[in-house]
Amino acid sequence: MQKKAIYLAVLWTLTTALAIADDKPATPLADATKVAEPAKSTEPPKVAEPSKPSRAQPKLWSWQPVQVPAEPKVKQGKWVRTPIDAFVLAKLEAKNIKPSKDADRAAFIRRATLDVWGVIPSPEEVKAFVTDKSPNAYEKLVDRLLSSQKYGERQARRWLDLARYADSTGFQNDTTRPNMWRYRDYVINAFNQDKPYNQFVKEQLAGDEIAPNDQNALVATGFLLNYPDNYNSRDLVQRQYQIETDMTDTVGLALLGQTVGCARCHNHKTDKITQKDYFSLQAFFANTSVNEKVVPKEKGEQEKKFEEAQAKYLAATKDIRTKQKAILDVYREAGTKYHKERYLTDSREAIFKPEAQWTPLDRWVNHRLENVSTERDIENYLKLITEDKSHPQHTPASEASWAEFKQLAAELKKFDDLKPSAGSKYISAATELGHPESPVTHIRFTGVHERPLDEVQPAFPAALTNEKPNIVPSATSSGRRTALAEWITSPTNPLTSRVFVNRVWNQYFGSGIVKTVSDFGKAGDKPTNPELLDYLASNFIKEGWSVKKLHRQILLSSVYRQSSDHRADAYKADPDNQLLAVFPRKRLDAEEIRDSLLVASGQLQDKIGGPAVFPPMPSNVIVGNNTFDDNPLWKVSKDVHDHNRRSLYVFTRRSVPYPMLDVFDPANPQLVHSKRDVTTTPLQALTLFNNETVFSWSQSLAGRVINEAGNNEAAQVDRLYQILFARNADKFEKTASHEFLGKQAQIIQAKAADGKFVISTPIGLKAAPAQDPIKLAAFVDLVHTVANSNEFAYRF
Amino acid sequence: MNTFSRREFLLKAGVGLGAAAFSGYIPGAGFISAASAAELIDPLAPKAPHFPAKVKTVIWLHMDGAPSTLDLFDYKPELKKLAGQPIPESYLKGIKTSTQGGITKLFWSDKREFKQYGESGAYFSDLLPNLSQHADKIAFIKSSVTIGATHDISILKLNTGDVNPGRPSLGAWVSYQLGSANRDLPSYVVLYNDNKEPRAGSVNWSSGFLPAVYQGVAFRPGDSPILNLERAGAWAAQEQRNSLDLLKRLNEKRGAAYPEDTELQARIRSYELADRMQTSAPEAVDLSKESEATREAYGLNDETTKSYGQVLLRARRLAERGVRFIQVVSGPALPDGDNRNWDAHNSLEKNHGTNAKMVDKPIAALLADLKERGLLDSTLVVWASEFGRTPWGESGDGRDHNPWGYTQWIAGGGVKAGTTFGATDEIGVQSVGKTVDTYDLHATVLQLLGLNHLKTTFLHDGRTERPTVVFGEVIKDLLA
Repeated sequence: MQKKAIYLAVLWTLTTALAIADDKPATPLADATKVAEPAKSTEPPKVAEPSKPSRAQPKLWSWQPVQVPAEPKVKQGKWVRTPIDAFVLAKLEAKNIKPSKDADRAAFIRRATLDVWGVIPSPEEVKAFVTDKSPNAYEKLVDRLLSSQKYGERQARRWLDLARYADSTGFQNDTTRPNMWRYRDYVINAFNQDKPYNQFVKEQLAGDEIAPNDQNALVATGFLLNYPDNYNSRDLVQRQYQIETDMTDTVGLALLGQTVGCARCHNHKTDKITQKDYFSLQAFFANTSVNEKVVPKEKGEQEKKFEEAQAKYLAATKDIRTKQKAILDVYREAGTKYHKERYLTDSREAIFKPEAQWTPLDRWVNHRLENVSTERDIENYLKLITEDKSHPQHTPASEASWAEFKQLAAELKKFDDLKPSAGSKYISAATELGHPESPVTHIRFTGVHERPLDEVQPAFPAALTNEKPNIVPSATSSGRRTALAEWITSPTNPLTSRVFVNRVWNQYFGSGIVKTVSDFGKAGDKPTNPELLDYLASNFIKEGWSVKKLHRQILLSSVYRQSSDHRADAYKADPDNQLLAVFPRKRLDAEEIRDSLLVASGQLQDKIGGPAVFPPMPSNVIVGNNTFDDNPLWKVSKDVHDHNRRSLYVFTRRSVPYPMLDVFDPANPQLVHSKRDVTTTPLQALTLFNNETVFSWSQSLAGRVINEAGNNEAAQVDRLYQILFARNADKFEKTASHEFLGKQAQIIQAKAADGKFVISTPIGLKAAPAQDPIKLAAFVDLVHTVANSNEFAYRF
Repeated sequence: MNTFSRREFLLKAGVGLGAAAFSGYIPGAGFISAASAAELIDPLAPKAPHFPAKVKTVIWLHMDGAPSTLDLFDYKPELKKLAGQPIPESYLKGIKTSTQGGITKLFWSDKREFKQYGESGAYFSDLLPNLSQHADKIAFIKSSVTIGATHDISILKLNTGDVNPGRPSLGAWVSYQLGSANRDLPSYVVLYNDNKEPRAGSVNWSSGFLPAVYQGVAFRPGDSPILNLERAGAWAAQEQRNSLDLLKRLNEKRGAAYPEDTELQARIRSYELADRMQTSAPEAVDLSKESEATREAYGLNDETTKSYGQVLLRARRLAERGVRFIQVVSGPALPDGDNRNWDAHNSLEKNHGTNAKMVDKPIAALLADLKERGLLDSTLVVWASEFGRTPWGESGDGRDHNPWGYTQWIAGGGVKAGTTFGATDEIGVQSVGKTVDTYDLHATVLQLLGLNHLKTTFLHDGRTERPTVVFGEVIKDLLA
């Protein structure tokens, strides 16, 4: 049955995981949409067996066990505050490079607060730290930063990059996934509670299996469910293959730092991962479906609010919807049949098969069909037979029905405002649909799903490990993902801890110890400091996979405390700063820029978690409605406070990136996003300089400065610098500001003369302004200009 | 001090540090080495092609919704003859349609007429009275094939080469490999004649795994095409100038402590570029200086052709100004739900009558205008769609999707004008002989830009990626 279904399939599809570019093009894909011919010979094409690792060729460095390296001896022992420092210093001393002096405290707190929280510190926080005479001032600061909920928000964003997190499905319809924010909140909470990393990974891979009664663990499986999806796909067998492919490739890259996806179409070209290994990994996900309607055990405030709002809408529209349903009921049977017939051959076979005969794959397909079928399918059918006058089902009655239905739909539309604008009453979770048997996984010839070769069982890459998965099926699940999670989080897994500590290192130093943070394979970079990497990885496990302890150690190291000031000697000896003799300055991430501007202006809404929000779009971006369910793709949040939430909470619509963030190299949610790029473009300058929202924040910041500093110009400028840069303005800056204010006031005055007198004054002034409005407007311009400077957009 | 981004960029671009394997051209300064281009941290610094380019600019006309090329270019007398009859089984060999019993009788509109035009004798239907006058400028690809039964995945493939979102679009690859020829404008611009964003949006002009700087910049309708072009806070020009001057002073003073930091220097320059863009971008789309004759030619005086004509006139102005890749998505012809795009599942006559009218005159005007201005030799116009339509009817008088055989065309520099490559079967179901997939079209476009698609590479997650994935063959028969 399985075979037939596959041979009958029509469209085969290329997904992103493909070969290293050959110099020769492969066979043209011209026949892409033709029926895949069954292999003529009874023997399927041979698949190369994994070459066994020979003794002469040692395993790739990253596949070898993590060592516990001894702390190296160094000459400048005083510089060593943590073992990390010894490992870094040893390399520097070998090259005769001195590390940099400590950064001054103000620079340090701005740096650390941005790195840990993702926002700038307040002047009060800066002052408290700078004047803290106690011997453990740094420890106090770091512990304060790590114990704030903002730590979880910032770290979650990095993890969501890897989880290809979005609040919608992508593709043309880009349907809302109303429950995914719960996964985002799960990640925030996990970091804040310092959930051990091994537990964190296990829950995300197999929460539904290991703790089916733990709502949090169910939500955690959202990690697997963030794949881009098109609900209107007519090839459900292909969807199943693409989804399990996405899960496999994501786990490979994000957790193991292995480009396993390369081995889907052919044996990996550089790493010892065979096609068989690839599909053996994929088999762990073969039985994974999604349930988007898990009812939360306990209703929280969010659920109550949502249901209340929904009840209002349902009550107000009850009559209309009842009438609509009555109309559709007449066409339901025919409409459902028509909808089902629109699927491709092998999908149809599963769909029209009696349930008693379902294979595990049929079960997956039918569950999927149920998930994506809506009233709209019937509605579309009615529309079709009405508008197509030659349709055999076209009748005067259908015409009347459609006319009436359309009228009711227009009526219904008037109540759209009553619909709950955000939130949900369900949880999305991975599920194996209550069955332990998985669909059969085959090796696929060149990765094409219609070309199955040998059947494979779940297994780990043979050249990487001799371990065999310990699969214990339950009554309702295959147990496969649990077995995979156990292996990935085993203390002996050589990759998991290395990959994660390297990501954290990358976050602080702008570059990993292994630069290719998601490729620990042969084609990736080698570690610049392998002993340091293994020290961090082994210590991470030793400390119970505590992520906070890892952060703490880095934050308290001398390496991290160094000044970022340019040093000609260090630059000459190590122009790429690979050895970290100087602290590397870094452009703020997209979210850090927006969030820090909000903090500076005093506008940030500090609420943690909850459904995603929709701040306003620029007026010339007109986002339409979803063609699938006719809901608006971007419905600006009614509560204006929601416009100023942290960027992490801004709705991630895959097809409509939020423009203010989009220009600053945010994560691309279509992919596992391993590393943020830094590009510098005029569009960024236009955004920060010209965007009306950003400008209004400058007006608020100007108001705040005046409120806090009074009317003295020098005090105002100092306060502005304290807020933005954690320091006072120097003499040059004060002079430059003074000259600017004078000239700017003249220019504004001149505007008044030609009758176009529009000025922008500070927002939120507490006292009646003592200065004249023109001077106030000039001050807003000063604030806006200073906020645009390099010093704001970077952390040093 | 930090030079990681420069280093990583070079590594990803497949260039060792210090190696001058690709080089850049800066107007007035001649070619510079890759290393020094990267010293500027200027990912859009102009770079030399692999070999001399035939064209500088691509205007990529995407016919959204998929036109029936059987009703435009691919004349099938046999289909006309067999109209109303069931399709002979032999034509369906090797393909599967997506609907059960979906194949109805062959359809031919009684209004359809084909004539030959130009010295090449190419066929055009009655739907394209203006474009047919340019027969000898065009090279047809009549054996186009693709993947997909639904628009979204095939549109993704048309633009990015894959049916899943995430890969860079062709324009992003071009921008990455060639850099910008005019820093006062984006090098990759997306235009559409609709007041709403095109469906599925930015994934179709995404930079994918390439740095975001290479993504397409959507030019919105109206006088201010780029977001945030207008000065904030009711500023006068002088206020902004004074602010920019202060910004520069502050940045330079502070930046003096980081003399090797090219990224900080680039950011200082980005504000000057932005300042220039504020003038150059509106100027580039300002049609008020176009002559009445030009406006008339592009159809600006007619309700059906106006919006598309405006967009194509913008495209020409952008091409003149050195924009590398101009992606034009066709929008609704009229504010009429049924004719929002070419997707004529029913009432093909009405749909195509309107949609063809919308594009016919403007595209003809674009070709003539480019020619007249001496730009056609350095510009490539590509007329493309996500798939074609079936010879059998749907809903009586419409046509279904056809990824097995349809027509696309190219015109401009380096193109063997007045030729036809490939063919479909007698009734236009499937391509026969050598077919042209998206990858082949992309490879050919890159070739004309002086780029070898096999050498246009970027290292991502362990794979050396290229625009044509692992496929692609330059269609030499299309090249002069």
